[in-house]
Amino acid sequence: MEPEYKSKYNAHLIKVILVLIVLGVGGIAAQALFIPSDFGEYGHYRTGAVEDEINRLVRNQTNESCLKCHPFIKKIHLGGVHKTVSCEFCHGPNADHAVDEKKIADMPVKRGKDIKTLCLRCHNKIIRARPEESIKMIAMPQHLEEKRVQTTHICNQCHHVHAPMKWVIEAKKAHGLIKEKEGLFPWMN
Amino acid sequence: MDELKLSEIREEIQKDRRAFIKNVLGGTIAGSLLMVIPAGAMEFPEQIPGMQDETGIFITRKKFAFIVDITRCIGCGSCCVADKNEYKVPEGNYRTWVERYIIDDHDNVFVDAPNGGLDGYTEPREDVPNPVRDTFFVPKLCNMCEKPSCVQVCPVGATFQTEDGFVLVDDKRCVACSYCVQACPYSVRFINPVTKTADKCTWCYHRVRKGLLPACVNVCPTHARKFGDLNDKKSEIYKIMRLPHIISVLKHGMGNKPSLHYLGLRREVV
Amino acid sequence: MQGVAETATAVAGYAFPNDFHVHWSLMIVLYPYITGIVAGAFIVSSLYHVFHIQALKPIARFSLLFALAFLACATLPLLNHLGHPERAMNMFLTPNPSSAMAGFGYIYTAYGIVLILEILFIYRETLVKLKDQASGFMKNVYGVLSMGSDNIGARALALDHKVIGFLAAIGIPMACILHGYVGFIFGGVKANSLWATPLMPVIFLLSACVSGIAGIIVTYLIIKPRAADSECIRSCIKFLWGFFILDFVFEMLEIGMHAYLSTHHWHALHELFWGPLYQSYWIYQVLIFSVIPFFILMGLSLIRFNDFIVKLFGFIASAMILFQVLLMRWNVVIGGQLMSKSEQGVVSFHPEWIAKEGIIPAIIIMVLPLIILFILSKVFPFWLPAESESSSSK
Repeated sequence: MEPEYKSKYNAHLIKVILVLIVLGVGGIAAQALFIPSDFGEYGHYRTGAVEDEINRLVRNQTNESCLKCHPFIKKIHLGGVHKTVSCEFCHGPNADHAVDEKKIADMPVKRGKDIKTLCLRCHNKIIRARPEESIKMIAMPQHLEEKRVQTTHICNQCHHVHAPMKWVIEAKKAHGLIKEKEGLFPWMN
Repeated sequence: MDELKLSEIREEIQKDRRAFIKNVLGGTIAGSLLMVIPAGAMEFPEQIPGMQDETGIFITRKKFAFIVDITRCIGCGSCCVADKNEYKVPEGNYRTWVERYIIDDHDNVFVDAPNGGLDGYTEPREDVPNPVRDTFFVPKLCNMCEKPSCVQVCPVGATFQTEDGFVLVDDKRCVACSYCVQACPYSVRFINPVTKTADKCTWCYHRVRKGLLPACVNVCPTHARKFGDLNDKKSEIYKIMRLPHIISVLKHGMGNKPSLHYLGLRREVV
Repeated sequence: MQGVAETATAVAGYAFPNDFHVHWSLMIVLYPYITGIVAGAFIVSSLYHVFHIQALKPIARFSLLFALAFLACATLPLLNHLGHPERAMNMFLTPNPSSAMAGFGYIYTAYGIVLILEILFIYRETLVKLKDQASGFMKNVYGVLSMGSDNIGARALALDHKVIGFLAAIGIPMACILHGYVGFIFGGVKANSLWATPLMPVIFLLSACVSGIAGIIVTYLIIKPRAADSECIRSCIKFLWGFFILDFVFEMLEIGMHAYLSTHHWHALHELFWGPLYQSYWIYQVLIFSVIPFFILMGLSLIRFNDFIVKLFGFIASAMILFQVLLMRWNVVIGGQLMSKSEQGVVSFHPEWIAKEGIIPAIIIMVLPLIILFILSKVFPFWLPAESESSSSK
């Protein structure tokens, strides 16, 4: 009645189940092989990733790192109201300039109109959102008119960029408008 | 000020090392820290006291918090510049940015952040019709959530929270599916077009681990960005958190519990 | 933009500076579209194999192969989207238990296995017979596909029948999980007020059924415009209308509920729906491609027209619904990203034709399943006059 078949009636089902088992075991073996050995030590991540992050290159350093090699600028910079201003904000990151205290490239020094743009990033009065008490604000060109100088003047013609009031104070001292030892901003001393 | 004798500085340190360093940072003693740390002993000055003793895989004795004082921010964008330099952040993506808020006397809120504040704010906003009631800058960065959505959704364990509370990205495992970018309520994440992996502010984990302050904190001229240890009773962070200031976090209702706090935050800020 | 994300343009208000990127673009629109078609087609087949809807018998086998052809392409848009497709296996190696997305690899694989096995068991008797008639390479192909057994005796076929019943039964919840889960991926993003609703998986699931049934009707009528079984088409249309009522009503309930609650979420959503999404949502998705096919299907279901009218308008309505579901995917996936998380600004986005994730790659990915279906038709006969003798039916 039943024709003769080469395979048993359930041969295909057994084969399918075997294939699935092989796939499953293969998958588990692949997991063991390919998951990084430091994965999951502290959480669901690779511990090495923390080390990778720690070892990232520090590109911006501190003013101390810069001033160590620039004693002349250091004297001026730390003596003025700009001492909290970062060297690298204006000049770029130290990592592009020095490696192990050896110079590898020149730092950009801003000149001309760029200086004015830079100064106004902080000191522009017309950006009204600035809290008034924190730093000195000026409006351009009213400030130049008030000081009776040409409106084409660039900030650093009167202000030393590292110590903005340095020349102003020196001029005032020379004219006897203020006493020696006394700065314009006594609270800065 | 420079003429402080080396012996005097040493004496000062003996008295109170932390207070001394704080004074140096605050500019009260504007001397070089490197003067007191023998050359070659450490690569960097220790801006965060005690950090260079933390040599384990995680920081164990400190709990860091970040405070942004929006009453001090002048929107100069120094932080954005430092951040871009530190990480070479590709154009059009922002690990940190500074927003300008203007609120008029009809309670209309005007916000902008051209190029994320990277180029500073050079022009006043002209399209505010009514008299201005309040105006301020709001720096934004990773909120370093205690319950981070990005870590929850990352399918492969490429973004994770370390045991010291920092949320980091493993750029060797990230597949750049962008799910974390969608999940972050603060939009601080992006897909870095150079590495083609998720990227975000890490509070400069690599700097902090070396004892340095985050790059943006280090350059902030008005001290609007503050970073420190909540376990250190002498840190400014600790003191601020215990004073009756208006301290708030962003999108409190999201339930992410940010470690980034804002001092003087207005209710209009999202 | 050469990066992974595509760039959007500002429309109104203030958007966070990182929100000018649309990270999930056309590829992620296609992915739920394709898996939805897979799940829907499988459900058509199950209506016959499990629920014994006899009218659907002519397309019961076809719809499984239709599902397989699309399932084979479901991962393509994802791989094309990933910044690091070579790391895609990380999904299998280190799936994060807390991630809604991490289960995808396993759910997709499990569902693929169930679908392939169900096809092989249903077709086994046919394949064994085809193997006997074939020669050369095809003989080997049929040998492998018939799972290395030539036994089509009564006992073997009875066993097959049991296995088919089992696979079809677990296949339904798995198809629902596969697609409900895609909805969960979106619904679980709490930062996005368009996506974060518990209704999201429900809407995805219902629209999946709708797109699967509509896809089957359209391809069936294209392959056999005259010979298509009209009773089968009529039942398909009734099922399509039924699922579409639920789908459309839920879609409208979701937005209605948002509007009525009127929380801060709604203020952002309002800007979106009446801003960059106005045309693609209200005009196209709702007015043209939902309301019109809704009434066509209603007419075809309630009034007995002649076969030609049923086939013609059934085809038109199904094609429109296929497009409606694509629009819905677009409006959900892209729409959600057009709202900045600043809650005070929206951006707009237009896909490019030639880009890694542009319109051309999208068309290629949508044509590919049809090519696969054509190849499958050379191996698996879709329509068998002798199907009534097959043990897969009851």
